[in-house]
Amino acid sequence: MIDPYYLQQLAIGLSLGMTYALMAIGFTLIFGVLNVVNFAHGEIYTLGAFAGLVLISAAAPPAVAVIFAALAIGALAGFSLERLAFKPFRRFTDEASLKSRAMRESTLLSSLAVSIVVREGLEIGFGSQMQSIPFAYLINTPVRVGPVILVTGDFIIFGVAAAMLVGLQYLLTRTRTGLAIRAVSNNPLGAKYVGIDTDRTIIVTFVVGSMMGAAAGILTGLYYGAVFPAMGFIPGIKAFVAMVMGGLSSIPGAVICALILGIAESMATTFVSSGWSDMVAYGFLIVTLIFFPNGLFGARRERV
Amino acid sequence: MNGSELVPLRGGWSRPVPLLAALALFAVLPAVLAGFDRGYLYQIANLSLIFVLLSASMHLVTGVAGLLHLGHAAFYGVGAYTAALLSSKLGLGFTATLPLSGLTAALVAFLVALPTMRLVSIYFAVATLAIGQMLYLVMLNWVELTKGPNGIIVTKGLELFGFSLSGRLPTYYTVAVVVALCVVAIGRLSHSYYGNTLRSIREDDQCADAMGVRTVRLKMEAFTLSAFFAGVAGSLWAHMTGYISPGDFKFSESILILAMVVVGGLGSLPGAVIGALLLILLPEGLRGLGDFRNIMVGLVMFLSILLLPKGLFGEVSALDFARRQWGAAWRRTRGGEGIGWR
Repeated sequence: MIDPYYLQQLAIGLSLGMTYALMAIGFTLIFGVLNVVNFAHGEIYTLGAFAGLVLISAAAPPAVAVIFAALAIGALAGFSLERLAFKPFRRFTDEASLKSRAMRESTLLSSLAVSIVVREGLEIGFGSQMQSIPFAYLINTPVRVGPVILVTGDFIIFGVAAAMLVGLQYLLTRTRTGLAIRAVSNNPLGAKYVGIDTDRTIIVTFVVGSMMGAAAGILTGLYYGAVFPAMGFIPGIKAFVAMVMGGLSSIPGAVICALILGIAESMATTFVSSGWSDMVAYGFLIVTLIFFPNGLFGARRERV
Repeated sequence: MNGSELVPLRGGWSRPVPLLAALALFAVLPAVLAGFDRGYLYQIANLSLIFVLLSASMHLVTGVAGLLHLGHAAFYGVGAYTAALLSSKLGLGFTATLPLSGLTAALVAFLVALPTMRLVSIYFAVATLAIGQMLYLVMLNWVELTKGPNGIIVTKGLELFGFSLSGRLPTYYTVAVVVALCVVAIGRLSHSYYGNTLRSIREDDQCADAMGVRTVRLKMEAFTLSAFFAGVAGSLWAHMTGYISPGDFKFSESILILAMVVVGGLGSLPGAVIGALLLILLPEGLRGLGDFRNIMVGLVMFLSILLLPKGLFGEVSALDFARRQWGAAWRRTRGGEGIGWR
């Protein structure tokens, strides 16, 4: 029989992994469409959490409304991010410049710059200290499942994330918008030639990806009860690791790897102090980059 | 060739910039600092000089060799911690710790580079990010060695072979001399055949490979060299401030250094120097605005990428400038044949 302690850690790891998965999907979608890394994705997560916090302290609506507000803010943030940090550098729309190196590096740096501005802006507005979420909203009522004690947050995070994943899968495979997103990420120039509005599709991708990031932010905020301007950095890196491990272009791969990462981290706290547990993700990243350059689930692709 | 003797050296005044820079660094600025005689101003001057060195070393790896490096501050930290630990545990002085911290940082960089140098573009950037974060975590969590978040107090000030250089003005001069020497060395490296080879790797590594350039080896050299200079900067910082903690070497510092190079112009050494001075002095000058100084870094970086994609002092004009001001090899022989590189 497995020690209940490990089951407990497994459950915590799964809900942690689910938040990483939500973040990783945003990364993967945007990487697929533009072939660029969006360094401001962690700030979308933070913005989602802060949107929830502001709404809670201003109006005290039901928790569902808080999550929807965070989603709305995420969508808005994704839209503005694309307009601010990505659109200006897409000066030409042929394939060579859509996926060119100069474009990749300038958007990498511009999204970094935007993320600095957002984070510092939040620090000016709210202070760099942790803001606590009112107790009534915390989703940590204990629930006993067999030998394991879970909290409601584990179920809510798992449920919301699963719902969003199913929704995303529906969007990508059953709707015309999803078809356009897949087409653009497959071949931007070809998509343009068959009449797909690539600019609009890119914005939609950013909006969808950022909504998922913001949802991860508010869920984590409600789960741990603490919101602070620098909170998005570490999950952003973890989600990025999950994306690289999953093979960059594969959404199921990214989700599975995010779950693996979450579980590995919560298991690691058994053996080492929690300060070192971040090392797991970085270690995974380096090992993946060196030994599995295509990711664990990615198709073979050129690494240039 | 008949007329192979050199055109007589033009006098110093036709190439005033190196002279003026040296004059400003070693005479005017110290005089101004001594005139005001405020510790704060000395701190700012030393801090800017250290960041000039960091930015110049970043220029070598990111600007010239084209490797996007997101963990540079960690190597700076390795240097600083080496200096602090050597001086507090073994009692070594600055004369010994300065080269040792550079070498330790270079060694760490070399070991890190061994597996990661095959990676290209964004993969490399992310690997350096991860490595930088791993080194930061070690500084933060290896409490027995690094005292964790409490940091280390460095009791030994600057000295040279036993002569104390710990006053305000001697400290400034030491930092200035070390930084100037390092920047000149980086300048020689990046404006040479060697630098041109690195640039060829940046432009097209497959093509360079086909031309017989050993790309992986050269990239590793550039990476290691830049870590060496970052380590030297770390040692200066440790002995200058007398206190280091992991917070000085976190990811945002790496980004700050990257921003300096980007704002100044990728691939341009004068640009890297200008960028460092701008991003250190501008927020200090705007201290009255309070907390807005960090936001300034982001805004300056964003605007310069948007409006000045080539940077304040772009690479082409920087190369031209460097040739006119420093390039002994750029002089022509009487026959009109150039010697050295172009």
